[in-house]
Amino acid sequence: MKTYLFLLLLFPFAGGLILAVIGRYLPRRVAEWIACASVLGSLLMAILAFGAAGEKRYLLTLFDWIQVGDFSASMTVYYDPLAAIMALMVTFVSSLIHLYSVSFMRDDRDYVRYFCYMNLFVFSMLVITLADNLVFLYLGWEGVGFCSYILIGFWYSDAVNATAGRKAFVLTRIGDVAFGIAIALFFLILDQLSIFSINSKASSLGAGTATLLGLLLFWGAVGKSAQLPLIVWLPDAMAGPTPVSALIHAATMVTAGAYLLMRLFPVIALSSVAMVTIATVAAFTGLFSALAALGQKDIKRILAYSTISQVSYMFLGVGAGDVTGGMYHLLSHAFFKALLFLGAGCVIQALHEEHDIFKMGNLRKRLPVVSWLYLVGCVSLAAIPPFGGFFSKDRILLSTFSHPEPIYKFLGLIAEIGALITVLYTFRMFFVAFLEKPSLQEDFKKKDLQIKDRQIRDLPIPKFMAWINSPLAILAIFAGALNFPEAFGGKSWLAQYLASIPGGVPLFPTSASLERSMEIGSGLLNVAVLIAAYFLYRPEGKLLGWPTPVVLHQRLEELFFSGFYLDRLYQIALVRPYQMMARTFWLNVDEGAVDDRFDATANVFRFFSLGLQFWTTGRLSTYLKMLLLGFTAILSALALGWYYLR
Amino acid sequence: MIVPYGNVLLLAIILFLLGAVCSIARRNLLMILIGVEIMLNAAGLAFVGASLKWQLLDGQAFVLFIFAVAASEVAIGLALIVYSQRRTGSVNADHYNRMKG
Amino acid sequence: MTLYSVIFYVLAVIILASTVLAIIQRFLINAVVYLILSFFATGLLFYLLGAPFLAVLEVIIYAGAIMVLFLFIVMTLPIEQPERRIMETLGQWLPVVILSVISFFIAGILIFEAPGSRINLNTGMATPAAFGQFVFNSYWFPVEIASFLLLIGLVGALYLGRRESKKGSEDRP
Repeated sequence: MKTYLFLLLLFPFAGGLILAVIGRYLPRRVAEWIACASVLGSLLMAILAFGAAGEKRYLLTLFDWIQVGDFSASMTVYYDPLAAIMALMVTFVSSLIHLYSVSFMRDDRDYVRYFCYMNLFVFSMLVITLADNLVFLYLGWEGVGFCSYILIGFWYSDAVNATAGRKAFVLTRIGDVAFGIAIALFFLILDQLSIFSINSKASSLGAGTATLLGLLLFWGAVGKSAQLPLIVWLPDAMAGPTPVSALIHAATMVTAGAYLLMRLFPVIALSSVAMVTIATVAAFTGLFSALAALGQKDIKRILAYSTISQVSYMFLGVGAGDVTGGMYHLLSHAFFKALLFLGAGCVIQALHEEHDIFKMGNLRKRLPVVSWLYLVGCVSLAAIPPFGGFFSKDRILLSTFSHPEPIYKFLGLIAEIGALITVLYTFRMFFVAFLEKPSLQEDFKKKDLQIKDRQIRDLPIPKFMAWINSPLAILAIFAGALNFPEAFGGKSWLAQYLASIPGGVPLFPTSASLERSMEIGSGLLNVAVLIAAYFLYRPEGKLLGWPTPVVLHQRLEELFFSGFYLDRLYQIALVRPYQMMARTFWLNVDEGAVDDRFDATANVFRFFSLGLQFWTTGRLSTYLKMLLLGFTAILSALALGWYYLR
Repeated sequence: MIVPYGNVLLLAIILFLLGAVCSIARRNLLMILIGVEIMLNAAGLAFVGASLKWQLLDGQAFVLFIFAVAASEVAIGLALIVYSQRRTGSVNADHYNRMKG
Repeated sequence: MTLYSVIFYVLAVIILASTVLAIIQRFLINAVVYLILSFFATGLLFYLLGAPFLAVLEVIIYAGAIMVLFLFIVMTLPIEQPERRIMETLGQWLPVVILSVISFFIAGILIFEAPGSRINLNTGMATPAAFGQFVFNSYWFPVEIASFLLLIGLVGALYLGRRESKKGSEDRP
């Protein structure tokens, strides 16, 4: 067992290290093979560990890391069912994305740097997944943040990308500070840095302490998972290569925040204030980003805001006391969001780096395989029954409504509205981009290539790139089978598996009748909104006299497009004052006070030497005068001395 | 009985300062040298007076050496003046100001 | 007021007057002649102060050789005569004079505060024989050095004063 976990962590780390040191000298294929093989090796180890573990948990020390006086932080892992599932998901999705990247980055010359950091990222994410010691976890936490920064700004020669990377790093850092404080508090109060021990001792914490710790941990998670108010980095992070967006900003890093809360659930569950805060922020973030997604034109930005929205559902699940539900949604979201991002990557490459959905069209005919896979992803995201996303999202909504406190009903309503808007923006994206535009179709029929739209000349993409997404599609379709609600006679396998972890069983179980009615009701609602979306957004049609796709009133569009002007708010409230302060310090203090002090000192010397220059006339008489002066001075000194001695 | 030694010394001082003034205030190189001669002479006078006061001959011996030094110094000084007059055409001290600044 | 003191004061006046006149002359040759007079008087003063040998030496070397050397140079060098405006600006003379006056007063104070300065000097005479004996007994080494110095002076003056040949001219000043 220990071997499996050790190798699980070692493979991607070794892969990254090898690529970093000698990757440049290896032939391209070998380097790609090393990268993919290391992650596939981790997948194998995860499967083996999963098989060997069964229902047991393991607390294993892999490496004695820090030993300072009383304080020791060793690389311990805590392998319980939650970690097992997460490790499986992470390694599986990472392997697929690595294989996809081989194809996606086929024309890029910096592939070594790319794969090296992807491997290191996988390593850091696995550290977060498995770590027991909080300092070890923090290592992984920072690792993913760092790799994310590098990979977002991968094409750094364009300053926009580098800025996006910096923005991501700074904003997640704000969260990381809170997490660091929480770690310190854990050590101070409980004298423990092991998750297992903390969870066991959690009941010894007072309500106030638990609230503080819960809020600090939540703030850390907010930074990493891009919830309000730290969401602004994720849409800009789409400047990185699409597989990076798929891996980091869909399946793994942004879910790390929710995962952390799930791991430390006993601590958080003690404080109802923390739980309510988590749920409230999550619900509002969900609605907020869903509305923002409705106004975006860039396909990746739509998916980014969608990620924010979906991750907030996971947080909502945790806030409502249902870790299993949160984890369920985490899994299915990983599948369909990665699928969507990779599909978007295929589309973008085929259309010569075109991101604007309003400039796409007719993709159903041009890229048939990709369109079908993309459709699967869309229906899963929109929670259309009977696909995977429906069951996971519904479970969370159920848990929220089942919570006894009245505020949760309100939050559940907000979440439900968010879910409906999800359907709307998802299918806006799909219909506008993928369906045929009659005007384009005419041109497409023409055989000669004298066509005004350069889009028609598509770049052929490797078949491999399209087909590698199929496992994800299958999982997205059948994810419902993981935890089919028992109210309909299904086997909730995941719930059973996770029942042993704290929070695995929802704090407030739902009644079967509520479950049934909710499922049917929301299912019907989603389908209805889908049909409405078709009529609203099908390309070049007519709806009650308005041309489709429907574009909202310009002010509203701008509001959604800019993410409710949150970026601008930060710019005005935080960035500009900081820049002015830095400017003051630079010009006035550093150059003015410090530099000018030195200049002033030097000027004093210059002044004196200029004064002395007056005497260096080069004329003999002047020097002789000086001699006489000296003579007089010596005489006077003698006289004075003699006078005083007398 | 001659004058008190202080008077001799006073005379020497006045002569010395006269020589200094001549050396400093005049522009002609030859006059500067003449000033130097006056100063040397004044020093010699002071030595002779001291020799008489202390009734020792060392002062007078020293005056002998002053004469020797003055002679050789004048010789070389005048040779230098002649040389520089030939090179630059001027015996005005203000002309030689290339060390200015 | 002995005879010797009268002689002293007369000689002092002559020395001072001729020196002052020497230093304010506009013609070089006048200055040299006045200075010769000054040195003559100094020589007589030496004799009064008991150094006959030195008095003679003063006349021979100082007045006779050095000043004659000056005369030669004055007469052979093409120097602009008379020196135009010997006292060019007040700034040229005034600081010097002020400093000199100050020095004079200080020196005067210093001299007359010492107790030994008010004692009248005794007369004495150092015969040339005694003087010569003394010098070659106690100060023979400086004599040798002085002769060496004179040799160097000779060589230097010769070198500096030689005529440049048309071909090889020195480029060192």
